Amino acid sequence: MKVIGFVCDWAVSTEGLVDGRGELKAYPGVHIVRIPCSGFMRPDWLEQSLRAGADGAFVTGCPYGDCLNREGNYLMRDRMEQLARRLQRRRVDPGRVAMFAHGLHDQQAFLAEVGAFLRRLESLPQPAARPVRPAVGAAAGEAAE
Amino acid sequence: MYRRALTWLLRQTVKLDVYINRIYPSDWNPLYYTGGLAHFFLFLLVLSGILLFFYYVASLDGAYASIRYLSEEVPYGFLLRGLHRYAADGFIVAVLLHLFRNWFTDRYLFARDGPWISGMFLLILGGFVGVNGYQLVWDQRAQAVTEIFVAILGAVPLAGATLVRLFLGSEGISAAMLPRILFLHVGVASFLYVLLWWHYVRLRHPKIWPPATWVLLLLGLLVLLSALPGTRPTAGVPAQPGVRVTAYPLDVFFLLPFWLASYLPPGVVGAGLAGLLLLGYLIPYLKREDESRMGPRHAGVAQVIDGNCTGCELCYYDCPYDAIVMVPSPHPGLTKAAASRKLLAVVIDSRCVECGICVGACPFQALELPRFLEADLMRRIAELVRARAPA
Ligand code: HEM
Ligand code: SF4
Ligand code: SF4
Repeated sequence: MKVIGFVCDWAVSTEGLVDGRGELKAYPGVHIVRIPCSGFMRPDWLEQSLRAGADGAFVTGCPYGDCLNREGNYLMRDRMEQLARRLQRRRVDPGRVAMFAHGLHDQQAFLAEVGAFLRRLESLPQPAARPVRPAVGAAAGEAAE
Repeated sequence: MYRRALTWLLRQTVKLDVYINRIYPSDWNPLYYTGGLAHFFLFLLVLSGILLFFYYVASLDGAYASIRYLSEEVPYGFLLRGLHRYAADGFIVAVLLHLFRNWFTDRYLFARDGPWISGMFLLILGGFVGVNGYQLVWDQRAQAVTEIFVAILGAVPLAGATLVRLFLGSEGISAAMLPRILFLHVGVASFLYVLLWWHYVRLRHPKIWPPATWVLLLLGLLVLLSALPGTRPTAGVPAQPGVRVTAYPLDVFFLLPFWLASYLPPGVVGAGLAGLLLLGYLIPYLKREDESRMGPRHAGVAQVIDGNCTGCELCYYDCPYDAIVMVPSPHPGLTKAAASRKLLAVVIDSRCVECGICVGACPFQALELPRFLEADLMRRIAELVRARAPA
């Protein structure tokens, strides 16, 4: 299972939860990427993650109402809904992307939700998404090599 | 030291939320609406204040009697007076909660200093209006408060005597005083709304109203407090200038500095207060973190990539700090979608808090945070996925 978790730097603390490679100790294969705000996510990046070969991708923001930037997590929640519809049109299961909201201390709740997300991913039909067009990042990565 | 203390306070503040969010759905956490609560109380104060104004007589012998008449003879007059009193307490509590919460949760960073500085003015003038309100009643407490306030004013170096004269209208307590204080009370309270305009000017859709349930609950609580015999504001003892006031009921929310003045010389209390408030203004500039170590938290002011921008205005609508303006496009964009654009997005650097919300809003890859570039992020994702790919 390969999952990318985009976590707002002000939201749940992953101190002690990740290993040296940035994966969750409890769920190897779940990579945590720290971002400035959940509202910073361009929803397209979740789709790109799937096209690059991830089985799932999620965003974590602060609890609704407590966004440091006032509205980031609400905006992201709306954009996730639009993304789900777009994914459906492109024959990607919207169940492969998710949005969570956990504050600094909600580590246990966060892990539990990631666990449930992984179980959901396992039950979905394979493959996750075909790389219909080369993912931006993949192309850039190859060029760098 | 400052940094460590604030980190600790941040953790405690957010921990409190964990408990509160177990009781309410998180959108309802009252601590997420402290600004809205302050605004709600201020609104109540204005409404009840306008009604009080019809009864109040601003003269040394009339003031106390008019308030007594209102609370004892006018039907529901006690309710009016109680609402005004307790809404004032609610206001100052909400404002202080708002201040501490914004402080402890870093909501003063970068371009958020506008709301902070205007907030400090709101705090000072709001407190001043509250103290004035206690003077208007012209009972013994009012007299004591006036004497202490005048002593503190008088202790101001150089300008002291002039300030006292301005405040009282003459050398001592005289008929000129109460009309002046009434004017200050109403005038400065109205001026709070001008400051609120400044407070909100860079916040898109400020949450100025708490959820309806909270509004109803608080209204109920205020009515109860104003009506119950135990808590309803009572008539004190009328003021007698010249006679020393020995004891008076203390309002812990507004009058704490006055309580201190019975132990310390007024000059010390005044200087202490001024020092505290000055520190308050400095908070946004005493950054607690080393900026180079803030990582994604300090990703740089958003940049528009001119060639890609189509003028769709989506970033303009989503920026929570009104930091993006749309200007007539001086030249066509480079991409196909941007070729016939009419508008161009421009980020006003001094308003941007580096949140990146506009980046997420833009479907045309026309915005970037300079220290958190999309290409880097995509490369990193590709590497992460590949590292795990089954051989
Ligand atoms: C009359 C008193 C005040 C009222 C009615 C008030 C109201 C508000 C409201 C409604 C907001 C918008 C909240 C949101 O939508 O996110 C806000 C934001 C803010 N207030 Fe106040 N406020 C008051 C006093 C203060 C004081 C005393 C301070 C601190 C010195 C302060 C600091 C701030 C800051 C820093 C923000 C921006 C928060 C952010 O960017 O998320 N305010 N205020
Ligand atoms: S969202 Fe993007 S394309 Fe649209 S106006 Fe803003 S920068 Fe330009
Ligand atoms: S990063 Fe973008 S959304 Fe955030 S304050 Fe700056 S211009 Fe506005």
